[in-house]
Amino acid sequence: MTVVLQQGINGVVLGSLYVLVALGLTLIYGVLVQINFAHADIVTLGAFSAYFFMHGVGGGYIPSIAVALVVGGVLGWLMNAAIFAPLQRKGSELLPLIATIGVSVMMENAMLAWFGPIPYAFESPYSNEVIRLGGTFITVQNVLIIAVSALTIAFLYGFMKFTFLGKALRAVSQDRETAGLMGINPDQLVMLTFVIASALAGMAGAMLGPVLVLTPFAGTSVIVKAFAIVIIGGFGNVEGTILAGLLVGLIESYTTQYLGPGMIDIVVFALLLLMLAVRPTGLIAEKREENV
Amino acid sequence: MSSLDGTRQIGTLLAPMRSRRAAYLCAAVAIALLPLVFTDSYWRTNLIICALNVMLAIGLDFVLGYAGQLNLGQSAFFGLGAYVSTLLITRLGVPFWVAFAGGVAFSGLAGIALSLFAMRLRGHYLAIASLGFAVITYQVLLNWISLTQGPLGIYAIPPPPPIALPGLPAVDFHDLRNLFYLVAGFALLSYLLLDQLIRSPIGEALTAVREDEVSAASLGINGAAWKVFAFGVGSSVAGAAGCFYPGFVGTLVPDAFFVTESFTILAMVVVGGMGTLIGPVWGAILLTVLPELLRGIGDLRLVVYGVALTLVVLFMPGGIVQAARLARARLRRAAGAGR
Repeated sequence: MTVVLQQGINGVVLGSLYVLVALGLTLIYGVLVQINFAHADIVTLGAFSAYFFMHGVGGGYIPSIAVALVVGGVLGWLMNAAIFAPLQRKGSELLPLIATIGVSVMMENAMLAWFGPIPYAFESPYSNEVIRLGGTFITVQNVLIIAVSALTIAFLYGFMKFTFLGKALRAVSQDRETAGLMGINPDQLVMLTFVIASALAGMAGAMLGPVLVLTPFAGTSVIVKAFAIVIIGGFGNVEGTILAGLLVGLIESYTTQYLGPGMIDIVVFALLLLMLAVRPTGLIAEKREENV
Repeated sequence: MSSLDGTRQIGTLLAPMRSRRAAYLCAAVAIALLPLVFTDSYWRTNLIICALNVMLAIGLDFVLGYAGQLNLGQSAFFGLGAYVSTLLITRLGVPFWVAFAGGVAFSGLAGIALSLFAMRLRGHYLAIASLGFAVITYQVLLNWISLTQGPLGIYAIPPPPPIALPGLPAVDFHDLRNLFYLVAGFALLSYLLLDQLIRSPIGEALTAVREDEVSAASLGINGAAWKVFAFGVGSSVAGAAGCFYPGFVGTLVPDAFFVTESFTILAMVVVGGMGTLIGPVWGAILLTVLPELLRGIGDLRLVVYGVALTLVVLFMPGGIVQAARLARARLRRAAGAGR
């Protein structure tokens, strides 16, 4: 029983980080109907910038999360300005996706050349402080991850629901042209979406660093799961993404416990292919069906 | 809606040659001469890698460039061909060419299985589904240790058995030159096969499905069936490349078929010029040779793939073929002005 509970906690911790990464993908898909493959490397660079802020500059762990957030946001701005905005004008469906695969390969190998393949020991001061709840343990780092993720998600939800900008954003993702007629500038909102989505990815990187093994490929293992999450949750669907993210986190921790860590990707992607075959619109169905 | 606007104007012309037969003859002569020019084993190894990459790239181009389906699972088909043929030889003692047929057939069937998803999915969904397929295949190869020996790999795999034709000395494939002739011969054969398919009405049906599936359907073209066909053909060619790989390298580990291999193949297709068959050939050669020439700059040379892919998509979506065509048009104009 305690094992089930313990793995449940680990699953929620992983799941909430996956949600942060997957939400960015889903937000971008919402406004642009495009996938950013280089989202993975923004996660990795977020983790590295937090690491170097702590170990190079001597900053604290909590400020390093803020640094990763800013780095992520700047990278998102660059991605949109350099890749998506110019290609959007050409109006092709697959070319932007292919270009971001190029950016991803480029960033991964550049990081490999600069940082090397040997894992970095990214230690959070909170990883060793443990809270005991009955038979189960939870580190302060994990409490921090759940709290920061939950707050961020709540903040984002409120922003989308209640502020003018959030409403404009939803308007653009529902109908870009009509939103434009209502005096909303879609290009600015797409840029805003990229900055928010990538800031979330950078922040998730800073919190994933101490949990995962920090190498130039750290983000890639996360992003393939994030892809699975956005499809299981339904592309462009925020509630579905949150639900699917937690589900995948739980699947991962229980698979590790009962089937072995080698089975994680197999189980997650088997679920993904099953979803695509049975219910391609995602857990919570939406009207967007042009891709299925 | 077109998915590949940048390459729409580029037809299926076979670059500058007047006649196709002459072009094939030139290619055969080039294949015959190359290992005589490059005599050291380092460059002969690279020649074989070029030939394998050409097969992988034209196989992917058939699915991506002609049928318009972004398939990120090419690394998996490559790996399935390699593992199935090797296991047939080591476990069941099957002769190489029977195992070869088995590997090609298995990859082709796996491609058809994946395309059953492609029938219902488009664009990004298919890209992610095929990526998922590549991830699962890699993990199965890595974790099914009783069958594949997982990360430890399979060692001491011999090259294909010598071919002895009556009256001629036996052709031994321990010799890299002969192995190159074998692989490059199959690359040329694959090219010939795909070229014939593309020039037949099948090619037009595929292009019609790529450009507008609904209009194609109204003309009686069954889009789903042609996608299944394209996946089957493209993955069989990748499987054939996979069958030659283990005997060439001598060892087989799952890492050779990691998902990033699919991205490398994609880069070759796009840099060369997707939607043309000759483009991916040049792309495969360029992106195999260039990183070797750049060994001096260390690990940073692998950045070449990413930089090339990104810049080509942004500034020259038709790749090398488009660039060559523009250059030729400009030269002709310059010559005309000079007169």
